[in-house]
Amino acid sequence: MKIAVCAKQIPDPANEVTYSDGIINRPDEQVLDDTDRYGIEVALQLKEKFDAEVTIISMGPAGTQKGLQQALQMGADKAIYVDDDSLKGSNSLKTANVLSELAKSLTADIVIFGTESTDGYSGTVPQQVSRFLDVECISYVKGLEVGDNITLTRQTVEGSEKVNMPEKCVISVTAGGVEPRYPNFKDIMAAKSKPIEQISLGDLNIVSEQNVEFLNVDTVESSKAGEKIIDEGEAYQEIVNKLRELKVI
Amino acid sequence: MKTLIIGEIINNNLSSGTLEILGKAKSMELETQVITVGSDDTPTIGLNETKQTYIKRSNSSLNFSKVASKITEIIKNEDIKLILGSSTYMCRDLISFISVDLNSSPISNVIDFDLHDGKISTVNSINGGESLYKAKINSDHSLLLIRPKAFDPAEVELNTDYETIDVDNSDIEVFDIYIEEKSGPQLEDSKVVISAGRGMVDKENLEMIVTLATKLNAAIGGTRAIVDAGWMPYSQQVGQTGKTVKPDVYIACGISGATQHQVGMKDSKYVIAINKDEEAPIFQLADLGIVGDTLSVIPKLNDNL
Repeated sequence: MKIAVCAKQIPDPANEVTYSDGIINRPDEQVLDDTDRYGIEVALQLKEKFDAEVTIISMGPAGTQKGLQQALQMGADKAIYVDDDSLKGSNSLKTANVLSELAKSLTADIVIFGTESTDGYSGTVPQQVSRFLDVECISYVKGLEVGDNITLTRQTVEGSEKVNMPEKCVISVTAGGVEPRYPNFKDIMAAKSKPIEQISLGDLNIVSEQNVEFLNVDTVESSKAGEKIIDEGEAYQEIVNKLRELKVI
Repeated sequence: MKTLIIGEIINNNLSSGTLEILGKAKSMELETQVITVGSDDTPTIGLNETKQTYIKRSNSSLNFSKVASKITEIIKNEDIKLILGSSTYMCRDLISFISVDLNSSPISNVIDFDLHDGKISTVNSINGGESLYKAKINSDHSLLLIRPKAFDPAEVELNTDYETIDVDNSDIEVFDIYIEEKSGPQLEDSKVVISAGRGMVDKENLEMIVTLATKLNAAIGGTRAIVDAGWMPYSQQVGQTGKTVKPDVYIACGISGATQHQVGMKDSKYVIAINKDEEAPIFQLADLGIVGDTLSVIPKLNDNL
């Protein structure tokens, strides 16, 4: 079994996000999107069962490759990525087109994603990739049981439901669904010798266009900070008064 | 502009998200029809003034890819240009599939849109709601995923008069369907929402939140952190990846206010925040901020209500 798992390098979420012409400014050193750790964890649990090969697929400025290294440290076998200036500011469809081509180049059986990236959160790429690959998408997976079958639990609006994983499909994994493993020192050292290969965009069959034209970004006035009271034991009374004023009680 | 709203069913009726989009479409006087997807037998979703088609699927099969193909076929046959759906699990799946069929990238998290010279321009909330991103769509088709509560709902009378189309099952069988028990006021439509975060320290301390909610007839929500920790079911999560609420009063208990959370509650009319950390970002959004230990403030509040 061959598994492709998507890992996005994003600016460290601890820092403020800035934009130029509607495109996120990406520093040379980016980190692995935490959202992708859940997908990688699912891939690694499948690898343990099926002795599968797990390849990280990624698109975007490679920079120091720190995020890719972090994905390999968790236990993926290798990584391939596309880094091309013409892809800057790509919409979700084009991103999905590139990633599905990478999955095809690996002849991957199972392609795994987080549900949405932390910096872009369009939340549509996994489903789009499945459509490009003409396989089913098992979206919003929040758990898996590895037995005779691989049973995936999907989050639904009302609760949850289960499906058995088909031989070929795309899976999106919700945050919190599984517990991503932490690499130890040995894993971190081992990752350094794992192959990371750049794939040329020209070698991929890209059919989608940029159909979204950026106009501008405005910062929202969020500061409506009102009264702030330090509780010295009686602050609850302020809440009671306010609830009365608002006619909640 | 010929417009399609992908509708959803909740409690045998059109979902609030669907009605909100319909409200916007009516205000723009778009030439609108609705295709509602569900598995109920005869839901009350028919609209007097707007064409409604019901795509009935079986919930024992994961067949949204087949549903999407059906919708794409209708879009092409009827020359529909604008396709709208709520940012829900189902519409995210369907609109993503359709976007590949139509070779037109969708825009997610849309909070407003407009039509100028035959082109759709959108406003969407990015960076956890801190910034607004404005864009114009230049392709033949425009596909938008719209955040809940972005628009006022259409006021409609619903009937059972519509055409129904059945869709085949896929090879993927669905089993062990589990429906979480719901009790008390629901997050989406409650006038008062009380949400809990990590500052509640322990799951057992949520009891005092339940007591307060009962006294105020409020719905209970939580942050992603406590949902991930298993203190509350996902259906109660408020935030980017959970529900969007817009109550008259929102009481944030022990919530620091990560952007992830803010985007789900920042449009609440009046926000009361209780947090130990004076610097917590939630205070930026609070009309009334109490700097103090939630675990001591709430019991006193409960005793005095």
